[in-house]
Amino acid sequence: MTSDSAQQIPVPTPPSDPPVDSQLQVRLKTEGERLLLILPPDGESESATNWSDLWQQLKQRLNAGERFWQGQATVHLMAQDRLLDGQKLQAIADALSEVELQLVRVYTTRRQTAVAAATAGYSVEQQPPTFSLNQTPKEPVSLLVEPLYLQITVRSGVEIRHPGTIVVLGDINPGGEVVADGDIFVWGRLRGVTHAGANGNRNCRIMALQMEPTQLRIAEAVARAPQTPPAQFYPEVAYVTPEGIRIARATDFAKTHLLLNS
Amino acid sequence: MSRIIVITSGKGGVGKTTVTSNLGMAIARLGRRVALVDADFGLRNLDLLLGLENRVVYTAVDVLAGQCRLEQALVKDKRQEGLVLLPAAQSRTKEAVSPDQMKKLVGALTQKYEYVVIDSPAGIEMGFQNAIAAAQEALIVTTPEIAAVRDADRVVGLLEAQGIKRIHLIINRLKPKMVQAQQMMSVQDVQELLAVPLIGVIPDDERVIVASNRGEPLVLAENVSLPAMAMNNIARRLEGEKVPFLDLMAEHDSLINRIRRLFGG
Repeated sequence: MTSDSAQQIPVPTPPSDPPVDSQLQVRLKTEGERLLLILPPDGESESATNWSDLWQQLKQRLNAGERFWQGQATVHLMAQDRLLDGQKLQAIADALSEVELQLVRVYTTRRQTAVAAATAGYSVEQQPPTFSLNQTPKEPVSLLVEPLYLQITVRSGVEIRHPGTIVVLGDINPGGEVVADGDIFVWGRLRGVTHAGANGNRNCRIMALQMEPTQLRIAEAVARAPQTPPAQFYPEVAYVTPEGIRIARATDFAKTHLLLNS
Repeated sequence: MSRIIVITSGKGGVGKTTVTSNLGMAIARLGRRVALVDADFGLRNLDLLLGLENRVVYTAVDVLAGQCRLEQALVKDKRQEGLVLLPAAQSRTKEAVSPDQMKKLVGALTQKYEYVVIDSPAGIEMGFQNAIAAAQEALIVTTPEIAAVRDADRVVGLLEAQGIKRIHLIINRLKPKMVQAQQMMSVQDVQELLAVPLIGVIPDDERVIVASNRGEPLVLAENVSLPAMAMNNIARRLEGEKVPFLDLMAEHDSLINRIRRLFGG
């Protein structure tokens, strides 16, 4: 935001933000020839996502990656302990077919979901409920999952969480939030809130073509943008130093940081 | 094939209902059959702005309850042939109707009308969900204010998730003088943030309030005003015509302002 190689922006008290719980959002994962659609577990907790939120997340993720779905790829739905009736299954299948994906198989731990899926003609795998308990990691996963690539405008009210690196091809508007356990790349304007290294990794970075954030967070460090916006923008990188979050011009950052580390 | 358009904004008080009434009138004047649907159950206003309040007998809720036929509930506008209003119930709340019922109502209207224009309530709760349930395209109304634009951004996201891809932007109540003095967001500022194609800019004008109070949409007035021209242009653009945008800045373009702009002031 200035022509200096690094610049400090005000660093208030550390945030009380809990580490990112990657289990709370819809995930799409490729595994060989097939695509896994993993729904967050229902659980009894208050933070469990309801159907309409889940539905919006699914539509966002599908639209944001539209270019990558190969025609008529097959999808396996990991419904976990979520209760899905015929109507909801149909809605999911319709949303998938809009981007030319085909739902073929449903994995669930609930009998009712299994029945509904079988009735609708999908092949079903019902797992014993204990399976899902074993699957939800009790410890925060130390390994990051594959990066999440999104071609999307992250608009006000949208929150994207991912237990790995996130690449956004598009703007993050004010009121939008992106939280990653890894790095965050924004190929566009960053005007909302981003949190990299949300599970406490201070080595994570936030990169944007145009950095005018509401707030930047890396691990437990927080920074706000300067009150007066700079006259000119260029790509910048935010990283953590012992003094807090600093920002460097992307072109300089490669020279001063990346080479030293190697 | 009829077009089902929802007019929405997120924030209240930005002029959704005013735009709906004027736009409906303007499209009808182009010779189309237009049905306006007030989806603001419990806080209905569209009938007031159209000056049709005293002619409302049945409402959408009565139709759904089977107490009358759809044709009985439709209020015909006497000034403009081809324009009808389906009023909302005033005594009920937004929960009185479900998205499926709304789809059924709108579906029935598309049999006879080329345009079904739905006036959405403010907010993003049940009423909004009802309003967008049947829509194929959307017009987002916003004023050049941060809060209104932020809410509009949220609404665009929700519409996209709903699968409504044809979204256009109307910027209402622009004050060219204030934009020139850099005291108000410009059209470019709003557009850059929302990234939605623009279909019209309506300047701020006191006559809009007068017209609303009289229940006579401004596009009907004999003396043509800038807001009325802007509204008529939006109607023509909806019809697929290429209409150049009004140069709202021209009026205030003094030599000094031009020089100031030249130096990026």
